[in-house]
Amino acid sequence: MSWRSWRRVRQAVQIAFFVFYIILIFSVVQRRVAPPLADIFFRLDPYSALGAMLASRQWIAKFALALVTVGVTLIIGRVWCGWICPLGSLLEWVSFKKARKRAASISPQWRLAKYFLLATSLALALFGGLTLLVFDPIAIFTRTLTTAILPGLFYAVNSVETALYQVSFLSPALDGFEGLVRGVVIPVEQPAFTQNLAIATLFFGLIALNLLAHRFWCRYLCPLGALLGLLSKFSLFRPVIGTSCTQCTRCAVVCKPGAIDTDPEDFHIMPAECTVCLDCMANCKPGDIRFRYRLKPAQTEEFDISRRQALGALASGAVGVLLLGTDLRLRQDNPWQIRPPGVNEEDTFLSTCIRCSQCMKICPTTALQPALTQAGLEGLWTPLVVPRVGYCDYGCTACGQVCPSGAIPLLTLEKKRSMVIGKASIDRNRCLPWASGMQCIVCEEMCPTPQKAIRLEEAEVIDSSGQASTVKRPSVLRDLCIGCGICEHYCPLEGDAAIRVYDA
Amino acid sequence: MKRRPPISRRTFIKLTATVAAGAALASCTPRQSPTEASTARINPTLPPSPTTETVPSGTSPSTPEQSTPTETSTNPEPSPTTSPAYLAVVHGPDPAAITRAAIEALGGMAAFVSAGYDVIIKPNICTDYHTPEYATTTNPTVVGTLVTMCLEAGAKRVRVMDYPFGGTATSAYATSGIGDAVEAAGGEMHVMIPAKYTWVDIPEGRDITKVKIYPDTLEADLLINVPIAKDHGATRLTLGAKNLMGVILDRDMMHMNLSQRIADLTSLVRPPLTVIDAVRILTANGPTGGDLADVKQMDTVIASRDVVAADAYATTLFGLTGSDIGYITASADMGLGTMDLSSIDIQEITLG
Repeated sequence: MSWRSWRRVRQAVQIAFFVFYIILIFSVVQRRVAPPLADIFFRLDPYSALGAMLASRQWIAKFALALVTVGVTLIIGRVWCGWICPLGSLLEWVSFKKARKRAASISPQWRLAKYFLLATSLALALFGGLTLLVFDPIAIFTRTLTTAILPGLFYAVNSVETALYQVSFLSPALDGFEGLVRGVVIPVEQPAFTQNLAIATLFFGLIALNLLAHRFWCRYLCPLGALLGLLSKFSLFRPVIGTSCTQCTRCAVVCKPGAIDTDPEDFHIMPAECTVCLDCMANCKPGDIRFRYRLKPAQTEEFDISRRQALGALASGAVGVLLLGTDLRLRQDNPWQIRPPGVNEEDTFLSTCIRCSQCMKICPTTALQPALTQAGLEGLWTPLVVPRVGYCDYGCTACGQVCPSGAIPLLTLEKKRSMVIGKASIDRNRCLPWASGMQCIVCEEMCPTPQKAIRLEEAEVIDSSGQASTVKRPSVLRDLCIGCGICEHYCPLEGDAAIRVYDA
Repeated sequence: MKRRPPISRRTFIKLTATVAAGAALASCTPRQSPTEASTARINPTLPPSPTTETVPSGTSPSTPEQSTPTETSTNPEPSPTTSPAYLAVVHGPDPAAITRAAIEALGGMAAFVSAGYDVIIKPNICTDYHTPEYATTTNPTVVGTLVTMCLEAGAKRVRVMDYPFGGTATSAYATSGIGDAVEAAGGEMHVMIPAKYTWVDIPEGRDITKVKIYPDTLEADLLINVPIAKDHGATRLTLGAKNLMGVILDRDMMHMNLSQRIADLTSLVRPPLTVIDAVRILTANGPTGGDLADVKQMDTVIASRDVVAADAYATTLFGLTGSDIGYITASADMGLGTMDLSSIDIQEITLG
């Protein structure tokens, strides 16, 4: 098979993995049960795996798959980047004509940035912090789809339908469409997420950087690419330019990651930057670029991280831990810091959660929202239960099913129902029966515990019109409350609920 | 050399057209307010009510003395030996058999369904928490049997729907067992479409005069209301009229004056047939349940054209009377049915 055919195979594989990734995304949107393989891309990701294992100081069996990626890289290089990574594929497809010229004016030294980011985040992980895993490419893509792109897409569909339902003869067609997609592809509840703008800005910013250079993110910034790049320096088979090279630079022109050093004295392919896309081989006039068996590590490049720089990254990580760890959270707990069911120790959680946002994607009520500073700076984009947005469904164990690192444990339904994530508390100054003598008690009706954790007492009151009447007043039985937040979610008061769940 | 304008005329026209099209589309989308335009599509007099011709029987729920169905004589089905009952109560160990017997006692499903009817069945599928033995959701066999009977009577389509407050429709349909039962019987589980809810006037409403409702439940040829009889904190019991809250989205506002507002909603929906599942009843910690000690096996199904009478009878299973439940008295007061069980023809059947 010629290199051109192989390149076509690669493009097909790329499309297949991308489509697979998108199907997986849709298969876990607001579901109660996750399909198998739902977290497969994260489990193949050695950056997240290494970070989580370093920070939580344990072997995480689910991440054993990442060894496959490491193994493949050690044999033939960054196949992950050129064949599999969905963000990498997207960045390859979104390319701008002038990017190659513009890239020429960017110093190759900038490639160091990704190694520095990798080293700093691993140093941070060594001290127990995983905050920098927000830059994992799979996490970036998944988080953006979850919090920004899919909610927007569903909102568009719902809005267009609302408009079209005004035209009565379209109703049967719309009903037919709805019957196919609602609850299958499009969730019943419209999702909404805080931070969607910030998360989308990061993502679209990365895409916009492609204006400056092809696969800008992959070249200069991606910490996973940096990790795989370091491994590629030792890969057994590497693309090597043969002796019949005329230095025509056609290969360098087509190379998206810019992995070919065109210095006439030392015209060579840099394995650490190469994404094994085969474009150079397919375009080589003499046809003399091929994989060659090498045991010796690849030569060092001017932008490789030096010992001094690595130590600098370690120091940055240490300083980062000190700064992140000594924000106000150290002295002042956030009373509304409610974590998903089964999460007990906050510190353990922060050093195991890889910030992938899978839990937020699957939560059927969209109760899980990305934190900004509610859990300290360290907890950026970790999941928090926000009951006013959604409650923790008493019949659901979905978040534990999709968590790749086990930060949210996989629980049986029975076990999950006994997990206390917070405690509800009633503000009698705002609660309708308590404050205004009005009938309400929605909270008691919604309470899912078999022996209701909200008790009603009848009381003679003067109602808001001055008449004597009897109302039922709710109070929380603290021992029975599991903090699911459905009471807070459905409390009919405007704005904040009169019953709120506090961190227990 | 001619200087090109910063934007060509053609481009300008194209842009303007795009913006105009976008604006036109955007202006079609109603915001979440009860505008006149969005209510115009629904005729509130359409739902089956004693005064319209859409009800296949001439029975008026509020006038029991006229309870002879006019169309039973033209039925292809064998006519029952006795005259159709106003209220049927059937006991027996087989939920399918007692459901069937209760409908037969009312004159058979053919008294309600004509060929080609589009039927909606509204069970109580309030959460996705528990399986049917916990008596928090309507018995799947009862619902499945009703689907079968509607199709036997010639219905072209039978859809079953509810909007759970705990979990999503798809998960609650699965856990309750209703999804499987309905699909096995040839019916459709319908996920209610958020974009479809429409503001509708309640002409007879005493406390609320407008509600945002799922229009299909008003437009269907027949709505069968199939609640499960169970305990409820705010109203003591949730029965037929209370079950109708599943067809509206904003249930928070209902709780301000729950009893009257349920009656107001009932005056709009007026279910032509109510079948109360009392195979198992939940006697405490409702409506969510979860403790088998609160479940009582009653092996009973109650059916009537009159939701108020059916609800009033169901209270007796809990040792109460209709006057103990606010929405029953409020509905009776509005003339939506009778809660006086001594004035109506009740046919009680026990199957072996």
